[in-house]
Amino acid sequence: MPILLFRVDERLIHGQVVIGWGKQLQPDRYVVVDDELANSEWEQELYRLAAADATDVGFCSVADARERIASWRAGEARTVVLTRDLESMLGLAREHAMEGESVNLGGIHHTEGRRRVRPYLYLSAEDRERVRALAEEGVTVSGRDLPGSLGVGLDNLIED
Amino acid sequence: MSAVTSSARASAFLRSFTIQGSWNYRTMLGGGFAFALLPVLRQVFRGPQLTEALRRHTEHFNAHPYLAGLALGAAAKLEADGCDPELVRRFKTAIKGPLGGLGDALVWAAWLPATALLGLIAHFSGAPPWLCVLVFLLPYNLGHLALRLWGFRTGLRWGHEVGRVLREAALGRRTETVSRAGALLLGVFAGLVCTVGPAASAAGLRGGASEALWLVLAVGAFVVGLVGGVRVWRPAAVVVVGAVVSILTVAAR
Repeated sequence: MPILLFRVDERLIHGQVVIGWGKQLQPDRYVVVDDELANSEWEQELYRLAAADATDVGFCSVADARERIASWRAGEARTVVLTRDLESMLGLAREHAMEGESVNLGGIHHTEGRRRVRPYLYLSAEDRERVRALAEEGVTVSGRDLPGSLGVGLDNLIED
Repeated sequence: MSAVTSSARASAFLRSFTIQGSWNYRTMLGGGFAFALLPVLRQVFRGPQLTEALRRHTEHFNAHPYLAGLALGAAAKLEADGCDPELVRRFKTAIKGPLGGLGDALVWAAWLPATALLGLIAHFSGAPPWLCVLVFLLPYNLGHLALRLWGFRTGLRWGHEVGRVLREAALGRRTETVSRAGALLLGVFAGLVCTVGPAASAAGLRGGASEALWLVLAVGAFVVGLVGGVRVWRPAAVVVVGAVVSILTVAAR
């Protein structure tokens, strides 16, 4: 089973992911790739609450995820991979580990120095650099909050 | 560990009723959250530190208004315990999603329509108007007051480790129970409307065989609700039934 969706969303598991994408993709498992959350039991407990009871939620560090990504692809479980920042996703994609995959940017919010691309997507110069790097690793990057909405292509994401 | 004084606690809880008062697209509940937490922050911080703490809590936050008290109670405990602001921020970020999702499903999609149906059933059973209103308002408000109080106390007690208690509280299962009760009420309501409402008399459905038919339909709706659970039961069903009844009533005149 190929991995159904790679998504960058600061909110991780929440309504848009569980209802919006979940209804369409019917995942068996969410994997959150994040070095900080991989070691934080209480935060994992909170994020798990947002997923439907029947869906499994796993947490792992970027290094672990790089080792396990092949087994997720080979396994039976329908998997959605989530990170809360571009940095973790880029870490996962390094050395063409995600060649041919698509990454969906679904929620990066406003902070100082970030510019609005879409209401749900604000990118800084550094973020755009990471998007470009992801593309160079052979990943198709686009912005989209919900499955039905019109996406934003790479060119619009990285234009200065 | 410095506990939150009972007066600060009471004040924060009362202020939590106004948590949506300054709702806006940028920070959503942020302003209301900071306002509600202020009595606790005043107890812990002074001067510029207080300003800084208040500024931190006006940042973006969102949750169901009735369950936001859980995050508020937990934040009060964390601040009173002198926790790292970064931990407080991470806690608030992580709890947003679950509190929003659980609250929407439990209150807006299950509790509110179910209690509203109680009032409608009272009306179609011939109860006086004041009683119909009371039959809706009393359970609805008792329910949300209990939920607010439970959330705030649970948060105060467990702080950032509240996730485990939330899971054990199994709000999802409770939501399903309320939804099923709602399906039952919808069946009873549909039966009542068809047998005793003005629409029924207009269509000449009163008495004998037709009443039995509607009773069968009502029981059928109930069983479908029980089996299908939340999948067939939606607040929209109430709207549809309401619309059909109104049309029939108007047509009958």
